[in-house]
Amino acid sequence: MADLGRAALVVTFGLAVYALVAGGIAARRNERRLAASARNALYCSFASTLIAAAVLATALVRHDFTFTYVAAHTNRHLPVAYALSAFWGGQEGSLLLWLLVLTGYGALAVAMNRRLLRDLTAWVVPVFAGIATFFSFVLVAVASPFDTQTAPFDGAGLTPSLQNPYMVAHPPMLYLGYVGLSVPFAFAAGALLSGRTDERWIVATRRWTLAAWAFLGFGQLLGAHWAYVEVGWGGYYAWDPVENAALMPWLAATAFLHSVMVQERKGMLKVWNMVLVALAFELSVFGTFLTRSGVVNSIHSFSKSSIGPWFLAFVVISSIFSLALITWRLPLLKAKTKLESALSREAAFLYNNLLLVALCLTILWGVLFPIVTQLFKGETRTIGRPYYDFFLRTFGLPLLLLMGIGPLIAWRKTSLRGLARTLTWPIVAAAVTGVALVAAGAGSSSPGLIAYTFSAFVLATIVVELVRGTRATGSLWTLVSRNRRRYGGYVVHAAVVLLAIGIAGSSAYSSSVERRLALGQSMTLAGYTLTNRGVTVDPKPNVTETRAHLDVTGPWSGTISSGDNQYVNPPEPSREVGIKTDWLRGEDLYVIVDEAHPKTGLIFVQVLVKPLINLIWIAGIVFLFGAAVALWPDAREQRRLVARLAPAASA
Amino acid sequence: MPTRSPARLVVALAVAGVLAIFLVYTAIAGHSIPTLTPSQIQGKSGKLSIVGTVVGKLDGDSHGASGLRFQLVDPQGHSAKRVDVVYHGAAPPPLFRVGRSVVVSGRYADGRLQGTDIVTKCPSKYTSAPS
Repeated sequence: MADLGRAALVVTFGLAVYALVAGGIAARRNERRLAASARNALYCSFASTLIAAAVLATALVRHDFTFTYVAAHTNRHLPVAYALSAFWGGQEGSLLLWLLVLTGYGALAVAMNRRLLRDLTAWVVPVFAGIATFFSFVLVAVASPFDTQTAPFDGAGLTPSLQNPYMVAHPPMLYLGYVGLSVPFAFAAGALLSGRTDERWIVATRRWTLAAWAFLGFGQLLGAHWAYVEVGWGGYYAWDPVENAALMPWLAATAFLHSVMVQERKGMLKVWNMVLVALAFELSVFGTFLTRSGVVNSIHSFSKSSIGPWFLAFVVISSIFSLALITWRLPLLKAKTKLESALSREAAFLYNNLLLVALCLTILWGVLFPIVTQLFKGETRTIGRPYYDFFLRTFGLPLLLLMGIGPLIAWRKTSLRGLARTLTWPIVAAAVTGVALVAAGAGSSSPGLIAYTFSAFVLATIVVELVRGTRATGSLWTLVSRNRRRYGGYVVHAAVVLLAIGIAGSSAYSSSVERRLALGQSMTLAGYTLTNRGVTVDPKPNVTETRAHLDVTGPWSGTISSGDNQYVNPPEPSREVGIKTDWLRGEDLYVIVDEAHPKTGLIFVQVLVKPLINLIWIAGIVFLFGAAVALWPDAREQRRLVARLAPAASA
Repeated sequence: MPTRSPARLVVALAVAGVLAIFLVYTAIAGHSIPTLTPSQIQGKSGKLSIVGTVVGKLDGDSHGASGLRFQLVDPQGHSAKRVDVVYHGAAPPPLFRVGRSVVVSGRYADGRLQGTDIVTKCPSKYTSAPS
């Protein structure tokens, strides 16, 4: 079976090389038959990768330990869903998933656009094929998931913490996002190579970019929620390089989704958009390099792997390729119009872009800092949370404010007076919220207060926009269905506001206390009283569960339990926290029992009260809904686009 | 058509430049601490982090007055140099034990790290297969 998987990957590699070379020649010489052949090779590379993926999935489900990969990441006790999740539980499987998604996306995106954008897709095929060549080469020659061995009696198993539904969904979601960014990249490169740098490539990839961005964003929130409920330290994001690796391309893609609207509407920012697309793609590959190479210390990885240098080479080569391509085509990327006023919608988009890219590059700098200091000072220095938190506030709060101003400001230009008139209600809402919060005692944290005031401002602008639009069209439904992208975008903005409120609330206003409690002893925090009611030990076939039980009185009354699980196979412990969510008050009571002595009943416990943290998870659902609204197929828009693009296509 | 953009470009570049300098300054002077392996610790002191593998006997209790005591060696095992660690604070993460790779942060003086924070390797998907 492993032979079939290996052979399928070799075939994928061969097809990718063919699509790269033949596609390149065909596009250059404008040979349609050869271009069709290269395109078919790209389609077939998806089919052969699918066969390889099916082989690995079958081996995982059948616990076929002759596969080194299967033995290293699963064992006999593992339920089918988790055995399948081991597909992305290790390096080789993750790379195969990457290649599968890449060839799938590539085939679909090319197939969907091959008629309308024939001249452009002729170049898109070799770009996709180039990326696929790299990944299939790594899978064939450097990190094969199909290495075999004499089957051991049982496999090493999957770490207990990863046996969690969130971990089944989080990695593939991130991959759908990471790899999805290769679609706008391939089309942008195709546009540059073919010299067709009008807006068609943007229109063709808009939904792909949106989908990739939505997957990446939602995937990160799933990971954050997993960390919150499973890892048991009370937080959800640690600014670790591996986590930042997913955040950076998402920020670049967010900037692109905004600036692209300026190009569509005003024919400006063409170079900038090309740079953003390339940046988002390079960062997504760089993220993989970061997580695989061991060049930086991460809480997620200390192990070096052989694929690091290959990825670095790929990032360097593809970055040079992108930059050279953009430089070569600069004459074609001249703006049709110029920025007329610093107070205009396009200027607001530009500020938003500068802030997003600044935040992205700041994070990149933080990630690279240990490498830079090692190179220049001979000593690895790392920067921690204070650095990232500082820049999140510095760039994030103005971004939040812009999210309110941007949608209300007119294109071309507006006056300060006109802007003030438009923003009257949102400003009033923000002022009232600010005063009310100070009166309620929330002034203890300035960033928290600013975040809330800005959030009220943004929410008010969204309401103003919806009310104004509904009045004009007669119904909210008509309004939204006439411009799904715009109103889907507003829903996403609302999600970001919820996220900001959740982050500010849970970090700026959280309280925590640590105590050693004897049996029957109590402690209090934020109105809650917790009393130690003893420790129980529950031995089960593959796990021994130790739990301390605490009676809680206060805003919520009941019992909360926390402790640890000690697994037999693999012999790993996992911390089990107690979380009680009070939806009415919007806060979590989070209990971490560090030590629990069954005989004496003595425990060491950390209790945290985290206000509004659940808004972060709700934001994820709202975000997904907004993205779905923006993504929803729109027949009216389609007709408009076909009418607009047809003359350009036949030109 | 108005053509005032070059001035704006200069302003934007200036802002970007100031930000860049600020960034470098903050990163170098503000919040960075050295992250070293036990073999690199010679001659250092003050606030730092040590990356290493836990060895020796785990002794004491992180909540007790004498703290939790253990030793760290280089993660890759290139050096036999050991560093003594005394850790005070919340109980270490559940995966903390002898043989694990960890990052311990704290103050280093007189050949001993007074640790205040321990991060153990997260059980994430990014580990390579055991050989």
